[in-house]
Amino acid sequence: MTDPHHVVDPVTGEEAAIVYEGVYKAFGDFEVLRGLDLVVPRGRITCVIGRSGTGKSVTIKHIMGLLRPDKGRIFVSGRDITAMSDRERRKVRLKFGMVFQNAALFDSLTVFDNVAFPLREHSKLSKAEIADRVQHMLAQVGLSGASSKFPSELSGGMRKRVGLARALIGNPEFLLYDEPTTGLDPILAAAMDALIADTQAANPELTSLVISHDMKAVLGIADKIVMLYEGRVVHEGTPDYFRNSDDALVRQFLEGSLDGPMKV
Amino acid sequence: MVVRMVEAVGRTSIGAWQRFLGALEELGRATVIGLRGLANLFLPPVRLRLIIEQTEFIGVSSLPIILLTSAFTGAVFTLQSYRAFAIFGAEAMVGGTVGVALTRELGPTLTGLLVAGRAGSAMAAELGSMRVSEQIDALEAMAVDPVNYLVKPRLAASILSMPILTAIFDAVGVAGSYLVGVYLLGMSKPEFLVRLGDWVDWDDIWTGLFKATVFGLLMGVISCYKGYYTTGGAAGVGRATTSAVVVTSVSVLVTNFFIAWLLP
Ligand SMILES: Nc1ncnc2c1ncn2[C@@H]1O[C@H](COP(=O)(O)OP(=O)(O)O)[C@@H](O)[C@H]1O
Ligand SMILES: [Mg+2]
Repeated sequence: MTDPHHVVDPVTGEEAAIVYEGVYKAFGDFEVLRGLDLVVPRGRITCVIGRSGTGKSVTIKHIMGLLRPDKGRIFVSGRDITAMSDRERRKVRLKFGMVFQNAALFDSLTVFDNVAFPLREHSKLSKAEIADRVQHMLAQVGLSGASSKFPSELSGGMRKRVGLARALIGNPEFLLYDEPTTGLDPILAAAMDALIADTQAANPELTSLVISHDMKAVLGIADKIVMLYEGRVVHEGTPDYFRNSDDALVRQFLEGSLDGPMKV
Repeated sequence: MVVRMVEAVGRTSIGAWQRFLGALEELGRATVIGLRGLANLFLPPVRLRLIIEQTEFIGVSSLPIILLTSAFTGAVFTLQSYRAFAIFGAEAMVGGTVGVALTRELGPTLTGLLVAGRAGSAMAAELGSMRVSEQIDALEAMAVDPVNYLVKPRLAASILSMPILTAIFDAVGVAGSYLVGVYLLGMSKPEFLVRLGDWVDWDDIWTGLFKATVFGLLMGVISCYKGYYTTGGAAGVGRATTSAVVVTSVSVLVTNFFIAWLLP
């Protein structure tokens, strides 16, 4: 990577929206990221896959500065967020929506209030406008009837969709999904994948980053797939590249087999 | 042999030194979050609704136990001191003695201990479960300062509620004492009341309420700190909760001594 401010993604040919440059992160003696280089193209769906515990969530949390790298830099739209002040970083965060692994809805608020939360905090919209937008967004994720329920009354799949609605309500430039389909039954998982693809299709400017350990699921929705292993990117390419790869690591991951370079 | 002993001493002292450094670091982090919480009292958004909600929660959840404990503390204290004073015919001193002890010492201290057990534990548990379920990360991801949104209201409510609950403790304790003195032990009403009025100064009451305010601050900072920095899932929430109550209780007792010493 020569100039991190102007990078073109080699896989899609798109301009890079997010660039990780040699990122290291350890918790105590435990090294999670060991020189991560990653390019997320603008306006596309990029999927990062890797085994549970390889640091996918840690990777995604670095983008918004929820975690700080020990070494390395992270550029969002060409600006190094690791060198920003708290106030600047907060501004950058407003451009993001994040769907957390377990939704991370606020237990004490209803579905409606959860989805309205970002608008109430950051917009000057009237009550009626907020209500309109929230209802519209809930309808989009298929949850019109649930607005007065509390998160504890929802199933895992419904919670994730509320999380998506909350992430989308502020019209983000970047949408981050942390394991959107994990813990869902196959039908709900397929519905969630379709929702991710639809969301992208409806917002062509949107840059989506999906974290998953399910290679098969991401083959259908990704424009670019990045495979994480031992804290580094070991493969990147289009879904076809991964389908046709005969690399042992990729095959093992695709087939979920016990034999191969990855040990349990 | 000698070398082994030196080694053992070395290891123990290194262990003790590390524990000391760990404790110092904890104290530092707790102080920082306390100061940030206090500073946020003067920073927007004000979050008045959350402050009222939290005050209501602490007040309402603690009121029954405060009423019960104060009535019986006043009652039993009266019973015992009456018996002691009766030995040298000084029964008339009961009202005043109980009044001073309640307003200066027992009121604030017992209220501090009880509210820590009832409300401090709940605050630590709530923040702890918000931490481990990534709700605090979600706040940050939505560019909302969790200290402003979560810590400030709880800190303000703790500082506000503790003196109010202490005043209630004092009043109900004295009432319990009066009932036992007059109706159970057969003291005359003026006998009880005159000494009470003579002996209990506004100074005693203010000192007690000042203590209570300090205890409220301690409980708020310690419970929020323990909850905010919870790690390790559900077990971690349990640890944070227990530790919030224990540390608050010890701090209340120790601080009480120093205030009594410095403010005679
Ligand atoms: N805040 C943290 N403190 C300590 N260890 C952490 C923290 N966050 C993540 N880890 C560790 O880093 C590793 C990677 O975690 P994570 O990114 O959540 O994995 P996954 O790829 O399944 O999302 C795990 O072993 C986890 O225990
Ligand atoms: Mg994860």
